[in-house]
This record gives sequence, structure tokens and C-alpha cells, in this order.
Amino acid sequence: MSEAEIESSKTNPSTFLSDIIGSSVTVKLHNGVEYSGNLQSIDGYMNIVLDEGKEVVGNTISRTYGDVFIRGNNVLYISEA
Amino acid sequence: MSESTGQASEEAVPATVLPLEIIDKSIGNEITVLMINDKEFTGKLVGFDDYVNMVLENVTERDNEGTSTIVRKKMLLNGGHVAMIIPAN
Amino acid sequence: MSTVRTEQQQQEPLDLIRFQLDEFVLVKLRGAREMKGRLQGYDSHCNMVLSEAQEFIYSEGDEEPTVKKTEMVFVRGDSVILISPIAE
Repeated sequence: MSEAEIESSKTNPSTFLSDIIGSSVTVKLHNGVEYSGNLQSIDGYMNIVLDEGKEVVGNTISRTYGDVFIRGNNVLYISEA
Repeated sequence: MSESTGQASEEAVPATVLPLEIIDKSIGNEITVLMINDKEFTGKLVGFDDYVNMVLENVTERDNEGTSTIVRKKMLLNGGHVAMIIPAN
Repeated sequence: MSTVRTEQQQQEPLDLIRFQLDEFVLVKLRGAREMKGRLQGYDSHCNMVLSEAQEFIYSEGDEEPTVKKTEMVFVRGDSVILISPIAE
């Protein structure tokens, strides 16, 4: 890959975040619990709001939330579902 | 940092390599990220920021037992708990 | 990072909490605890004041959590994991 190609295919964290707003995501927390839902909004602290959030512990859905705000310091990663 | 004046010719002074440059060179390549809690992520690095938050593709996640692997297409990994970043080659 | 903006999505996550002022919320906390209460106030650290609050403490083995009722309580933001409106 040339320098220019690398530059254009690069996705910085902020680009990634604005790309995935509105799509269905999985958020994993440091305590191992996962939340999946539609990403309503996110900020620079990685505070997140999901709608139709499902709480997944292990492999089972333990709870559902209409809207849920997740405090950013607990977030390990955010991935496209 | 190591700007030496005077006699040192260009090839005599090895250029300082900044840590983030190593990561920048790894963009487009496979890396392994070790977390402080013994978790491990391996995937293609697509980008990162000054906090070493990273965007990775085709990621396998390994936990401390080294057994369970989960594959994610694309993810943003929080840089806050990163211990080490290893370019695959 | 902190300047993520898309056209229609000017909202930031804390706005969800703003909309819950004076409503009942569920707050999940570190250490297997939860709080339910009416949200009187909050700040950017997620420090919160809840009134008519109930605290639920889950301990290993017990199915039913211990419940403590409080008229008014201050919750320090650093132990907050998540905040969600309670559907009445």
C-alpha cells in the first residue's frame, strides 16, 4: 500500500464513532458484561446511549432497557454488531 | 530530545523513534494488543488517537485462559487499559 | 475525539439523563448494587441526587436483594455503571 492509500483507508476513533452512530452495536464493559442495541449517541468520554439495549451476561440476555446511558469509564470496546 | 549539534553527521545520529510512530507504521497491519487484565486482542489496525484508543478490524479476543476467542468485524478499543501493543511481524 | 458531530445527531449522551430529571431512574452501580429513585439533579461526572430512593444490594447466593429505602440520597458518579429510565 502507498502512503496515500493508507491515509485514505485509515479510520481514526472519532471517524469510527461518527460512522457507527445509528447502527446496531455491541459494547463490552470491563466487568465482562455486554450491551447490544442501537447507538443513539456517544461522546469523547465514551459515554454511550443505546436504545433497545440488551444486557448480555455470558451468553444469555439477562435484561432489556428501553434507553440506557452507559458511563464511559466502564467501556472496554465498542464494536459493530 | 536528542538534537546533537556540531560534528555529528547525519548517519551517526540514529533518528529517535517515537512510540506512536511505531504504532502509526502498523496501520494496515495485524497487531496484538495486551490489556492490563491479561486480555488480548489481535486484529488489523485501522487507526488510533493520542490516547491509543484503536480501531481494529477482524478482531479475535482472547481472555486470560487463552481459550475463548470472539471475532468482531470492526471495533473501537478503549486505550485506557492497554498495556502493550505488538506488531505481528 | 470529543468533537464527534454528525448533522442530525447533535445530542450527547448526558442529554438522555437531562430528559429524566424529576422522573424515576434505575442506576446500576459497581459492587452489585442498584438504586431506583426520582432524579433531582446530576452533573457531568454522573454524581446524582435521587429522592424516594430504594437501594438494592445483591449478594452471592441470595435470590432476593437487600432493600434499603432513603428519602434523599447522593450517589457519587465514579461508581455508576449505567442509568436507565424506569418504564412506569
